[in-house]
Amino acid sequence: MTKEHDETSRPSDPSRRKFLKGVGIVGAGAAIAGGLLETELRGERGATVAATANAPMSGTVEVALQVNGERRAVQVEPRTTLLNALRNHLDPPLTGPKLVCDMGTCGACTVLVDDKPIYSCLVLAVDTAGKKITTVEGLGTAEQPNQVQAAFVADDALMCGFCTPGFVTTLSAYLKKNPQPTLDELREACKGNFCRCGTYPRVFEAALKAAQQKA
Amino acid sequence: MQQQPPKKKKIKVPKVVNGQETMVEIEVDDTGGPVWGPNNGHTLLNHRLTRVDGLVKVSGAARYTYDVHLPGMLYGRVLRAPHAHARVKKVDLSAALKVPGVKAAVEGLQDVRYAGTPVAAVAATTPELAEDGIRAIVVQYEVLPHVVRAEDAIKPDAPKVFDEGNVQAANSRGDKEKVAAALAKCAAVVEAEYRTPIVHHSCLETHGNVVDYRGGDAATVYASTQWTFSIPGDAAQELGLKQSAVTAIVEHMGGGFGSKFGIGVEGALACKLSKQASAPVKLMLTRHDEFLIPVNRSGSWQKLTGGATKDGKLVAVEATQYRLGGNDEGSQAGQPYIYTATDFYREVSSIHTNEAGSGAMRAPGHPQASFAMESLMDELAYKLNLDPLEFRKINLKDPAYHRQLERGAREIDWSRRNTTPGGGAGPVKRGLGCGVGVWGGGGSPQCKVDVTIGRDGAVTVACGTQDLGTGTRTYTRAIVAEELGLQIADVHEQIGNSKLGASNPSGGSTTAASLAPAVKDAAYSARMMFAEKVAPLLGVKPEEVTFAGSKVSGGGKSLSWSQACAALPATGLTAHGEWKVNLADKGVHGAAFAEVEVDTETGHVRPVKIVHVQDVGLPLNRLAIESQINGGMIQAMGMALWEGRVMDAALGLMCNPSFEDYKIPGSLEMPELVPLIDDGDTREAVIGVGEPPIIPTVGAIANAVFNACGVRVRELPITPDKILMGLWKGGQTA
Ligand code: FES
Ligand code: FES
Repeated sequence: MTKEHDETSRPSDPSRRKFLKGVGIVGAGAAIAGGLLETELRGERGATVAATANAPMSGTVEVALQVNGERRAVQVEPRTTLLNALRNHLDPPLTGPKLVCDMGTCGACTVLVDDKPIYSCLVLAVDTAGKKITTVEGLGTAEQPNQVQAAFVADDALMCGFCTPGFVTTLSAYLKKNPQPTLDELREACKGNFCRCGTYPRVFEAALKAAQQKA
Repeated sequence: MQQQPPKKKKIKVPKVVNGQETMVEIEVDDTGGPVWGPNNGHTLLNHRLTRVDGLVKVSGAARYTYDVHLPGMLYGRVLRAPHAHARVKKVDLSAALKVPGVKAAVEGLQDVRYAGTPVAAVAATTPELAEDGIRAIVVQYEVLPHVVRAEDAIKPDAPKVFDEGNVQAANSRGDKEKVAAALAKCAAVVEAEYRTPIVHHSCLETHGNVVDYRGGDAATVYASTQWTFSIPGDAAQELGLKQSAVTAIVEHMGGGFGSKFGIGVEGALACKLSKQASAPVKLMLTRHDEFLIPVNRSGSWQKLTGGATKDGKLVAVEATQYRLGGNDEGSQAGQPYIYTATDFYREVSSIHTNEAGSGAMRAPGHPQASFAMESLMDELAYKLNLDPLEFRKINLKDPAYHRQLERGAREIDWSRRNTTPGGGAGPVKRGLGCGVGVWGGGGSPQCKVDVTIGRDGAVTVACGTQDLGTGTRTYTRAIVAEELGLQIADVHEQIGNSKLGASNPSGGSTTAASLAPAVKDAAYSARMMFAEKVAPLLGVKPEEVTFAGSKVSGGGKSLSWSQACAALPATGLTAHGEWKVNLADKGVHGAAFAEVEVDTETGHVRPVKIVHVQDVGLPLNRLAIESQINGGMIQAMGMALWEGRVMDAALGLMCNPSFEDYKIPGSLEMPELVPLIDDGDTREAVIGVGEPPIIPTVGAIANAVFNACGVRVRELPITPDKILMGLWKGGQTA
């Protein structure tokens, strides 16, 4: 691993994989090493990395994210979460998903990866290279909201709205999986999303209504 | 005609300082002008209006301070002191400044009176590098002895939070001897201690600002704040600029609940960083920071003695009330709260600890006092063998309380309550409880509103105020649209900018009652001015012109809105509006009923149904008000059952500074919630109701728990361990 620190990776250099493996051990867990698409990740050593054995792993990599139907390249450190990549590194950024707890408790950062809701604060950007990412912005727009979004507005399922993108994303995915949910199933579906203003009862109502409209 | 100077009259209005409300006397014009008219005579107001900013919020397009992204923007982070009490001796920023990407580093506070005090801050090109920068800072502390528990802080040899000592001199009221004499004659006396822990606002958008100062003589600050106009002055001071040179912007904000006034220590640090780096700096607190640095709801320790006659008259209350506000005062309404006892005596003071200072939180001081008093009332009622509801009615004169209690009792079906607490078969018991509250609210003359009608038909209403998620944008548009006979979509609002007309802080439920009258006044003046212009076209007198259905009519003729607007000069018309005393009112009540299920094998409490009845004067938007009442009930539920700061006394550290360990209400705990607007209140005036719905539910839940299982839990939150201990001790807890 120390040796790999000292190597300069180029896009076609096979040692890049080793570099990423190293990163995986440090920050991302072993999952990162497998499944990466050669064309989606570009290693690049930051010029500032000190070439000593104990130097912190640094530098950035280019990750090509497939977000909301577009391929968008972003230059991030391997430790950068998907949420941070979307909110702070993409230019222009996608700020629909919110950072609230940064530790997988609140659900405000929920995005869909390959159509499954995940906490984007718990996933590294490099881990999502090549996967299909959908944020709340990709579900519908103010001009053309999806059924969940429209029902949220109609039923006043939002107040400050800071938790709302997370709920909308969670429920949009859930209603695809279970188009005719019961109230209890909806409670269960939303248990990973927090709202401090207290919109829960109307979130449930809106989701039930959106489900009815879909049926 | 000789002009008469306008008649003046003196009124009392709320003044909010740091979210805390006090009343001041002012003089206002006592003249005619707009009126709201009967509450059932509105075309838009008092209806169910969907939020005008709903679509941008559900689609992720709404821009909060946290979402502001400027070219060359840096990310700020603060370094928190790890000691509860210390003095900073030396801060070495040199290593931090060498971290790649770190562009600025500054020192923070020197006096550490709570663990988490920001002692330094950095700004870097990415949030990750800012984190590295923070880790590279070296701070030397002189660690001092600390105290974080009230019981320890009152001991004579306790470490001192302030040189003046930890216990503030008490304020007392009433006649202690008379109370003692009255208590001696009572048929029932209850003496008990009630406690509530420090509770956290837990706004999902943390405190923070984006300070954009790149040198020169002007700056822009994007702030997550409850008062747009508190920002320029604070920032100007830090940046060394004139107040007028700083523009504050608050487009959308992710919750405040009383905690966000002024720029805060984090804002001051962001200013310093921006100044040093000559670049915009976004400094939003992390969730961990958020639990430690900003204000919180003060805890309480209340020793109450109450006595009543056998026919249920509350005759004597004695109270020793401690506000537990960390290194600040804290707040607590005086006992016997809303009840009138023939005689009462109370002493109120604050106990300081090495914890962050408390501040305003949704109805500051009220849920704490209400929980204790409603519990005491309940205890007295059971002791006297009276229906707790009837006992309350005997001791509440105001007919509004009677109306609301009766309505709530019908909704929850009060007759189902256990006549014997803990009665009923099986291990899972159900019970009902109730509580009542009070809130002042009201408005004051601080808002300046402009309504502009363009020659192209565009209508704009502008004021610098902020929308916390309460629906300010929506009712602002609705008032103007209704006045001009238009639809909500025909009007656009501009808010959240300190370059627009002044507005008041959103504290004490004063926003609607301060803003709505000024909006109405501006819209009314715009209508009058417009009528003057179109009257000749219609061949009628200005007072005969009517505005309805997007038409301007008179003398049997009608113009479409755009036809009528074409008659305006190129600049259109602008009308200015100010607060009008007759358009606002103050003073609301509120009654809550709770049904809970208690599992006597596990001690688990499940809220089943909560009802809250609230008077609001003229309901501007029924949909949004109901949402707000829901929110109050839900936050009250959190306070009653799950929330509370837990401190490690030995280390002086908070044990649960995250949403993993500080439990806020979630979807699985949601009971059936019934928010009811009390239309028995026919006042044709606006009153804000952000705070009152959080007050009575706390006590109602505690009382329902007792009714269900016979355990009186006097210390919040009502966790399973307390229930089990109570059952084991035969109904009593410590
Ligand atoms: S920010 Fe990701 S779960 Fe809270
Ligand atoms: S609407 Fe404010 S946190 Fe959910």
